[in-house]
Amino acid sequence: MDDSAELESFRRQWREEVESRAKQNLPEKSLATPSRTVASQSRKFPPTRHEASAWKEEEEEEVAPAHAPMELVPALDGLSLAKQDDEDAFHLRAPLKEPKSALEHFERAVEKEAAGNLGDSLHHYRKAYRLDAAVDKEYRNKHFAGAWKRPPQTTSSDEPTKPAADEKPAIVPTPELIASFSHLPIPPAEPLFEGDPTPPCPIANVPSEVIVEILKCVALTDPAAFGRMALVCKRFAYHFSHEQQIWKRLCQGAKFGFKAMHYSFACDIHGHAEHTLAPVARFTPFPTDMPVQIPSPLSSWSEVFHTFPRIRFTGIYISTVNYTRAGAASAYSNISWNSPIHIVTYYRYLRFYPDGTVIYLLTTVEPADVVPHINKSNVTAARAPSRKQHSRNTSDLGSSVTGPQDPVPPIALDALKRAQWGRWRLSKPASPSGPPEEPEYSIPGKDNSTAAHDPRDLVVETEGVGAPKYVYVLHLGLRSTTVRPTHGSQMVPNPSRNTKLVWKGYWSYDKLTDDWAEFGLKNDRAFVFRRVRGWGMI
Amino acid sequence: MAETNTQELTFTSSDGKNMKVPRDVAERSLLIKNMLEDLGEATEAIPIPNVTENVLTKVLEWCTHHRNDPPTTGDEDDSRRKTTDIEEWDQKFMQVDQEMLFEIILAANYLDIKPLLDIGCKTVANMIKGKSPEEIRKTFNIQNDFTPEEEDQIRRENEWAEE
Repeated sequence: MDDSAELESFRRQWREEVESRAKQNLPEKSLATPSRTVASQSRKFPPTRHEASAWKEEEEEEVAPAHAPMELVPALDGLSLAKQDDEDAFHLRAPLKEPKSALEHFERAVEKEAAGNLGDSLHHYRKAYRLDAAVDKEYRNKHFAGAWKRPPQTTSSDEPTKPAADEKPAIVPTPELIASFSHLPIPPAEPLFEGDPTPPCPIANVPSEVIVEILKCVALTDPAAFGRMALVCKRFAYHFSHEQQIWKRLCQGAKFGFKAMHYSFACDIHGHAEHTLAPVARFTPFPTDMPVQIPSPLSSWSEVFHTFPRIRFTGIYISTVNYTRAGAASAYSNISWNSPIHIVTYYRYLRFYPDGTVIYLLTTVEPADVVPHINKSNVTAARAPSRKQHSRNTSDLGSSVTGPQDPVPPIALDALKRAQWGRWRLSKPASPSGPPEEPEYSIPGKDNSTAAHDPRDLVVETEGVGAPKYVYVLHLGLRSTTVRPTHGSQMVPNPSRNTKLVWKGYWSYDKLTDDWAEFGLKNDRAFVFRRVRGWGMI
Repeated sequence: MAETNTQELTFTSSDGKNMKVPRDVAERSLLIKNMLEDLGEATEAIPIPNVTENVLTKVLEWCTHHRNDPPTTGDEDDSRRKTTDIEEWDQKFMQVDQEMLFEIILAANYLDIKPLLDIGCKTVANMIKGKSPEEIRKTFNIQNDFTPEEEDQIRRENEWAEE
């Protein structure tokens, strides 16, 4: 792409926009004006376009959590991209206000890009760069400033030209830092106004053993809330990393821990429990009724919880696939520049259940429209031949925390019609006792005997589309998000572990003829876990 | 209530108030129970030095309501902890201000009344879940004692935590 061509398309787009603005009074009227302050200071830079043209990078498909924009949360405030306090990305789409400043456009663009919506993304990038050629700098300063310098809670109005003087103090290694917190008191808040009596802080008087009890309750209610407790004050941070009994309990628990992991199929692909004549005790890596050990390379239960292969039930795994297809010029009317490229986006969703079932959905419907509605009762309702109009679907455990459930919108219901039932299991961790697991099938082209045993492997079997004689078999592998250190910062954020599912193979099996057919995986991207509010929390 | 065969004990709260308690209610407290087992009969008032009258009243109200619960066994966990929800009566019982809530928790801890301690902790946990660190600080009037650098460091350490 050379600059003159791009410049030309900019001009054309601008002209179009001015024309359309003249005709209809768009709400974005004030587009250019409020951003003057932003735009004025850095005219000397040439129009950079590294991030805008970065969808090549998208090949790498790694979304480092530090960068990971909550895909669907619009920039509610300056922090929403960098921080993930939010439990949920799918229920918060209401305040979709139009971006105005260059920075807001840029942020929106990054979001869209992360969501796989390249068309819109590019649109916003262009607007952003037109408003301010150095907007990418601005963006970096705002969101990743913490990585190399420390402007406390920068807001968009901050000057990006912070004096580089605020050097960081010598960094104490985190474990030592945390250990130094061990005996600190919980500091009571100071009064809001000087002279007022100090607000009561009864939790400060609670002894450690009770704090630990409370933290344990928090952890068992929601491990993410436990994680946030570590950021409340130093004392909690200490308990968070040192209370191994809490972590052990979490690991052994059935709600978030490994007790709910299946290492052999628990049901058939329609979710009916399997009955066997000789029921075998279900394997679980950390049984509660006998002494358990931390598996060898790991040294603590918190590590076990983070790194041992584990499926999460508190959200959805999404694989976003974009591919481009050449199209006739000007056929794609809702993108304002004349792109002859069609960008096709579709999604694969996997929702796992602790009972060994899984819902698989392949659709073009965007996550925000369908994800909150992916649950068993909705799928049952949507797939029922005579669809009763929105039968009350309160029976699903994960779905309704927020009182009476909203009716499922038609777009979601439509998508859910094509949802497939399935079942899942992890591959058994290698253990000295117990026989090696035998493969259910012998998949051609995949030598089961020699293939290295990988405990991160996950097998999902779903119904076939169309005919009941097919079973689709997905081989996936749990992976951690890899993180590249950001911009010369020496602190590498902890990768979020086991939140990704990479493809290892996808087959269709014909039960009648014992035939295998392989699906191509040319465009297929890894699944990435996203938390959904209320799921798995009952 | 239950005037059948119960022997009455007398507790003295830290602020010097005496109150009569049926023995089976008092024995919800393992501290008291063990003490009685050691002492045999307690004829004198038993001082409860760490608990004020109003808190002790509240705790005894709980013990009275739960006097017939099966005794808790030493091996904690599971049966009790499996359910993170709190039964309705206990929920109502715990609708008190935060100072009282923590007083009850402290008293339950001191008197060794595990189920009550547990309900207290769960109540606090329910106040915590779904909140951001800043909201948690606000809820409990805790001051942020991290420097921005430390906060950043801890955040990185726990980056995986978007469970």
